[in-house]
Amino acid sequence: MIDTGSWVYDYSSTFSHWLIVGIAVILVSFLIQRLLKKLGMNNEASTGLALIMPWFIGFLIFNVYPFVASFYLSLTEYNLLSPLSFSNLPELVGFKNYIYAFTEDPNFWPSIRLTLLYGLISIPLGLAGALGTAMLLNREVKAVGVWRTLYYLPAVLPGAATALLWRWMFNPSNGLINTLLSPVLKLFNIPNPAWFTNPDLVLPSFVIMGMWGIFGTTTVILLAGLKNIPNDLYESATIDGANQWRKFLNITLPMMTPTLFYVLITSLIGALQYFTQALFITTPREAGVFINVYIWQQAFNQQKMGYASALAWILLAITLLLTLLVFRSSSMWVFYESDVSSGKKKKSKAKIKSSAQGGA
Amino acid sequence: MSTELITGKPTTREKVEHKVKVRKPMGRKRQKTISDIITYILLALGAAIVLVPFFWMIRTSLTLESQLFDYPPKFIPSPLVFQNYVEAWNALPVSFTRFTMNTLFVTILAMSAEIFTCSLVAYGFARFRFPGRNVLFMLMLSTMMLPGVVTLVPSFILWRELKLIDTYDPMTIGAWFAWGPSYVFLLRQFFMSLPKEIEEAALLDGANTIQIYAKIMLPLVKPALLAIAVLSFIGNWNNFMGPLIYLNSGEKYPIIMALKFFEQSLSKEAPKFHYMMAMAHMMSIPLLALYFAMQRNFIEGITAGAVKG
Repeated sequence: MIDTGSWVYDYSSTFSHWLIVGIAVILVSFLIQRLLKKLGMNNEASTGLALIMPWFIGFLIFNVYPFVASFYLSLTEYNLLSPLSFSNLPELVGFKNYIYAFTEDPNFWPSIRLTLLYGLISIPLGLAGALGTAMLLNREVKAVGVWRTLYYLPAVLPGAATALLWRWMFNPSNGLINTLLSPVLKLFNIPNPAWFTNPDLVLPSFVIMGMWGIFGTTTVILLAGLKNIPNDLYESATIDGANQWRKFLNITLPMMTPTLFYVLITSLIGALQYFTQALFITTPREAGVFINVYIWQQAFNQQKMGYASALAWILLAITLLLTLLVFRSSSMWVFYESDVSSGKKKKSKAKIKSSAQGGA
Repeated sequence: MSTELITGKPTTREKVEHKVKVRKPMGRKRQKTISDIITYILLALGAAIVLVPFFWMIRTSLTLESQLFDYPPKFIPSPLVFQNYVEAWNALPVSFTRFTMNTLFVTILAMSAEIFTCSLVAYGFARFRFPGRNVLFMLMLSTMMLPGVVTLVPSFILWRELKLIDTYDPMTIGAWFAWGPSYVFLLRQFFMSLPKEIEEAALLDGANTIQIYAKIMLPLVKPALLAIAVLSFIGNWNNFMGPLIYLNSGEKYPIIMALKFFEQSLSKEAPKFHYMMAMAHMMSIPLLALYFAMQRNFIEGITAGAVKG
């Protein structure tokens, strides 16, 4: 008899499944290569397709199927506990769930509002702060590696640890933040802010906590972008007498737009998927919860899988809409050096120079 | 050095730069020192903002429970209670030894499968021409935009129908299907930067695709592999949504779930922040150690995709 309660059993059963699936994935890739070759495909194409098979199979199982199924479920009132089979699919109820979310659900708009406002405030602040930090690090400072290592630290910390730590630092009575602020607070006779426990301060508290993380990935990526700006652009601007501010406006910003664009997209997607930290911080009910937390609650606490799927689809629509908006607007503000192809490179430099001169 | 700059011919980039600076002799140097000082002050300020919360975490983890809510809080508590770590380790009915083992088990399985398949897929996308390659690659990147909650419910139903709820399978087996699209993207960038002649020479010598991939290509992208190994380790170590949905039995919890469980049960009425900070610190130590050991490759790896893209 196998002791089903022991860790040996837990681990060995998953390990054997894991091993079998791994071998199966490799075998399927091999077989597909053989099959495609038999069908007359050349060696290179069949090998390439076989190599991407692990992703493609996973794409079908973990993306396409859930994608379709989740849309179907969003049109039903499927409940977590009711049995499910292909002969007995949950009944379609039309767009009832969507209509309920938009018109009746008292918690829907607050969570959309909280999520969007969090993104709207924290992303620009984060980008500005990270760009500032990256520019400081780019100023020929000594031991840049040490600073960079330090600044990346918050990103290594688990989200759960970050959330608990900031909840503790925001403690109204004797948290670190209020202790440090107390001289200022006393001066203006302001009572201690209650941060995460005051509905009006929940959003600012999340934003401040989020700012701590911007030093991480964003700063490091922007710094790499800054290092890629050719130095001669600044040199010619200096010769033309441009001051620091003009150089920033006419060289640094335009040259950084591709990197800023990348960071903007990733932080937008990140903000719309905010989950772990939010779940480790209890906030007053009236402040609302982040949409991902709300969806999770609906699906697994309330067992309303159908409604949760509808909410998830609304979130997907918002994500696509905002990403598309950023992509569309990118032609207006993102400057690619390859646009000004190498032959015209001198011209673009001249343009930057003249505008730098014009302002100086 | 300055005489060399005034007289020397501006042949290199640096010299041009210095010569430009020499043009305005007075005040320029002083201005430079002042702006340097401001730079270092700002950098130190930023470092303080980064480090003080870390300090606060460790400080709290060493505080006596009765002093936890003292006002004003002491910056260095006395006595320093290292015993908190031992007590936190055994604060739950299941010991943290088991939680740590669970986390390591899931992380290692998921990470190794992820690195293996992501590198194969990236190699396929980078080096082989096949019909639909660009469409498939764009499709893969666009899955990054798909919110996790959209696929959550159907995935849960899938694992439930397979009778694999409350096992580690949902958190490890999916990794065989090249989980992170961003890792594939990163590795593809690295593969594409390698000269094609390497493979052509090996092909002439009679090596097959597997040999070329394993013996020639993989060693050449080692920095990128190490970077995604670190990213994947951190990602799986901190995975919360997975265990939250799929695991029910406490003894199967990874550390993050143990922390959540402690936070909402034993620490609910009177928050035991000294234990929670000790747990949070212990959970972070492996990640911090890994980061410090690998940070050079790691930083190079995470920035490669963003800047060139």
